[in-house]
Amino acid sequence: MNAFWSFITERYPDILKALQEHLVLSFSAVILGTIIAVPIGILLVYNRVGWINSAVFFIANLFQTVPSLALLAILIPLLGIGMKPAILALLLYSLMPILRNTYDGFRSVDKGVLSSAQGMGYSTAQTILKIQLPLSLPYIMSGIRITTVYIISWATLASLIGAGGLGQLIVSGLGVNKPEMIFIGGIGAILLALIADGLLGLLEGWLGRRYHQTRESAV
Amino acid sequence: MKLIKLKWMLMPICAILLAGLTSACGIQSQVTIGTQTYTESKIIAEMYKALIEDRTNLNVGIIPDLASSSLVINAMKRNDVQMATLYTGEIFNNHFPISGSKDRQQVLKEAQEGFRKYYQFSWLDPLGFENTYAFTVRKDLADSKGYTKITDVKKDMDAMKLGVDTTWLERSTDGYPAFSKAYGIKFGQVFPMEISLVYSAVANKQVDIVLAYSTDSRLKAYNLKTLQDDKQFFPPYDASPVLRSDLLKKHPEIQEAIAPLIGHLDADTMIALNYQVDIEKKSEREVAVAYLKEQGLLKS
Repeated sequence: MNAFWSFITERYPDILKALQEHLVLSFSAVILGTIIAVPIGILLVYNRVGWINSAVFFIANLFQTVPSLALLAILIPLLGIGMKPAILALLLYSLMPILRNTYDGFRSVDKGVLSSAQGMGYSTAQTILKIQLPLSLPYIMSGIRITTVYIISWATLASLIGAGGLGQLIVSGLGVNKPEMIFIGGIGAILLALIADGLLGLLEGWLGRRYHQTRESAV
Repeated sequence: MKLIKLKWMLMPICAILLAGLTSACGIQSQVTIGTQTYTESKIIAEMYKALIEDRTNLNVGIIPDLASSSLVINAMKRNDVQMATLYTGEIFNNHFPISGSKDRQQVLKEAQEGFRKYYQFSWLDPLGFENTYAFTVRKDLADSKGYTKITDVKKDMDAMKLGVDTTWLERSTDGYPAFSKAYGIKFGQVFPMEISLVYSAVANKQVDIVLAYSTDSRLKAYNLKTLQDDKQFFPPYDASPVLRSDLLKKHPEIQEAIAPLIGHLDADTMIALNYQVDIEKKSEREVAVAYLKEQGLLKS
């Protein structure tokens, strides 16, 4: 326990640096993944060609099943080492859950609601923004939350290709026989995942309330 | 109806899981060798296995890719693994108090005594080669800048990117902080990564200089140049077989079985064997067995 505290007090700049790298890695991947996967999910809902949907889901699934270390090693000749390839690898992992949940969320919207929207003269864009998106918000948010927690834990592997992060503490702790380093890296990743999940939960609640207000004012 | 379908779907999955579980608890090996992540330790483990199975009645299993030497040592301490190849410089990894001397004989002595006293391991005499840290650059860069020793890169250090393994930055006696003090060198950017990746990283110009392991064949294959450690900063790293003492007491024949390897492997031999695996893509077992046969060490 003593080693633990002295490590924190002596090395807090390094710990903070690792934490910061980890945050940049995970959140860049999740934000980019959301920007890419949500529109694709919506497009798939409106797409009438069956095989395209299967193909896109198949590819997204494929990204999820490639062992991450293999992916990182393969990316070296293409993208080099450090942050860039690590973020790309994590981004590929984040696509599937967000894509799947966006698609399912839109599909879950009641057909009657959609027909009434059409009857009220809503354009497709209005239907998406005012009806489908708010109604499927819980689905999409849960996709983003699941992905965030996953990505934060996977980002520990980024240290293998020189991208740093909390994984750096874990692997060097393994290397030099300092359990306190492994603990701090591991506990840091757990706390980060819990805090991120909590914050996203708050965001979801806030977005939900906003949507309720618009609905009530409309009534 | 639905349930029945589900049952048929689950059957093969359960079968696969069961098969995996039973195969994992298959033949009981009496000796398990642990290896690090790099090729060399796997080839040597295959040599131990071939020799022990050839000359004794024991079954040998191998657990490869343990993340670090400290992990190997902890696995041996727990008796999950009973045997491994370790390097004398390991004593600089906070296992027990040391004198700090970098003399080759002295470091070997401290490794043998320390691991006997604090861990009850038998650290046998060295196999005959060192696998030490080596600062390495691309040959074309070395030629154009005239680098031959580590001191030569000091003038360009701020502009250089360094690739290292995931451990070196944290090592106390022979790691980065001590190195910076000894040489007065701090590189512009440092990228710690899995050791197997540093060679391609420097060859692909992702980094300018890497801290390689001296017996790695990729130094030759990728046309890299090792810089001389002109301040003799790095301690010795003689490779030795290490076993739990209780295993040796129970089966002294193990030590006799691997005795032909002691003092038998030199650095050039090791580099050549590593080359056959890393570059020619042969399996570690094939390379190990072929070498032992060629040396006339296998009876069967």
